Amino acid sequence: SSGDRGAAGRAGCPGRCRCEVDGLLHRVDCSDLGLREIPSNLSVFTSYLDLSMNNLTVLSSGALSNLHFLEELRLAGNDLSFIPRGAFTGLYNLKVLMLQNNQLMSVPVEAFSKLHNLQSLRLDANQISSVPIGCFSGLRSLRHLWLDDNSLTEVPAEALSELPALQAMTLALNHISHVPDHAFSKLGRLVVLHLNNNRIVSMGTNCFHGLHSLETLDLNYNSLVEFPTAVRSLSHLKELGFHSNNIQSIPEHAFTGTPSLITIFFYDNPIQSVGRSAFQHLPELRTLSLNGAADLTEFPDLTGTKSLESLTITGARITSLPSSVCEQLPNLQLLDLSYNQIQTLPSFSGCESVQKIDLHHNEIEELEENTFHGLMSLRALDLSWNRLSSVKPNCFSALPALTKLDLSSNQLSSLPLIGLQSLTHLRLAGNTKLMQLLPRENLPRVRVMELPYAFQCCAFVSCERRGGGGGGGGGGGGGASWEREEAAETSVLSSQADQDWEDFLMEFDDEPKLQHSVHCSPAPGPFRPCLHLL
Amino acid sequence: TEGPPSCPKGCERCSEYNGCIKCRPKLFIFLERNDIRQIGVCLASCPMGYFGMRNPEGNNRCTQCKIDNCEACFNRNFCTKCKEGLYSHSGRCYVSCPPGQRTANETMEC
Repeated sequence: SSGDRGAAGRAGCPGRCRCEVDGLLHRVDCSDLGLREIPSNLSVFTSYLDLSMNNLTVLSSGALSNLHFLEELRLAGNDLSFIPRGAFTGLYNLKVLMLQNNQLMSVPVEAFSKLHNLQSLRLDANQISSVPIGCFSGLRSLRHLWLDDNSLTEVPAEALSELPALQAMTLALNHISHVPDHAFSKLGRLVVLHLNNNRIVSMGTNCFHGLHSLETLDLNYNSLVEFPTAVRSLSHLKELGFHSNNIQSIPEHAFTGTPSLITIFFYDNPIQSVGRSAFQHLPELRTLSLNGAADLTEFPDLTGTKSLESLTITGARITSLPSSVCEQLPNLQLLDLSYNQIQTLPSFSGCESVQKIDLHHNEIEELEENTFHGLMSLRALDLSWNRLSSVKPNCFSALPALTKLDLSSNQLSSLPLIGLQSLTHLRLAGNTKLMQLLPRENLPRVRVMELPYAFQCCAFVSCERRGGGGGGGGGGGGGASWEREEAAETSVLSSQADQDWEDFLMEFDDEPKLQHSVHCSPAPGPFRPCLHLL
Repeated sequence: TEGPPSCPKGCERCSEYNGCIKCRPKLFIFLERNDIRQIGVCLASCPMGYFGMRNPEGNNRCTQCKIDNCEACFNRNFCTKCKEGLYSHSGRCYVSCPPGQRTANETMEC
């Protein structure tokens, strides 16, 4: 019967191995038995043989030659430093060969030549510094090749040119410093190429020539100084990573030839300047994140990049936004332009899907009636650390989903409360001229508040709980930072900066309890009684 | 160099409750689920449904494939072996080949 477990030592199941018989075929697991040589009495019907994590130092020629049905051979985690020419003779049906975690210093010159049906070859985690020309000849069916975590100092272009069916390859974690022109020119079916964690300083302008099918290119953690313009020939590229390099500028038309890009990872580069047209015509791009490009003074032209959902440009010197920003980005959900020098805002009305807008640490002075009008999905708006002195009365009137509003550290003397019924979190601290009382009925669902003065908390803190402790939710004296108090109250918060306490608290019961407690600071303690206000 | 005798094979540092915490160089740590516990084991190749992510610090980890109907993968998005009866194309698995693609039944590819 299928799946019958053969006891070790029975015909075809070498001593101490674990065997399964599946119809005619045998699956034999002899891993981790301290073996020094290949067991001899293997059934000719063995289709799967696992010899990994043993102490094999030699593979003698012909040792497996009668295993014509073998499809998967695992030799990982042994001490093989050399593989003779005939080691795999007779393995006509071998599809998967695992040689990772051995001591090979070179790819065997001829051992693979007859493996015409091999699809996956693992050579990762050896000490390979040489890939001889012709060593892969005969592997006409190879689809997946692992050469990562070795000692290669160059791309083995000649050897690779004999792999016409290759679809996925990793050369990651090697010592490659340059990618020459036409390095992969015969790999027309390659879909995935990992070159991350090498020492790549330079690349030929035509180094990716011939990679017509490439969809994923990983150049992360290298030493690139120039933007890899060679990517322009990769018309099917969907995912490009070159984060953690030394690239200082992204040129005009950087991605002209890669209209299929969905994600681009390029953080942790000292990028100073970005061509205004660099990110144009990328209709599939979902996320664009650019931090610290100090020379960037103009908002990029994103014509034709209409699927963008998340745009982050922080730490640049943008002073204004085009009025057409929402026409260009109709699907925007997150906009983060914090730490720029923005003085005036256009109307964001066209950004109907936007959920979060971060504009803190800019130089914005006033908010018009239509700045945020009609943003039905806007949940969080952060305008702290600006120069806001004027907010038009109906500025927040049409924001039914707004739950978090941060206007702290501005120059407000008054705040229109029209439309803020949904607020659960309001920060106004640091607006020293804002003396107005905030009627509780205008903020029926607020639960966390940070206000300029303690007396403004009186309306939100029930009288008997006044006193030394914090207002409302208790814990910590006045002035305790918002996040710390939140963390004390709401147990473990996610450590991810962006996915922070806001998203966690969103799961809280949204229906306002009749008289829920409000955590308001600075708390009206013993020296700042509310009595005289009631 | 093997870890302490009490640690499982290929492990450099372990704890009684969580099994291996740090594997020997070049091996992958895989977190087996045991009820609510996670037990670390060290493997030369990751189990079905996972791929090995190597990094320079040596904290190589088995990471879950993120492709529907896939049994083995090269990275998160590229499948190397689709489930029985499905066709593989550009690293994804299909019940039937996408339009414009010819079916190769002997290798179950498009």
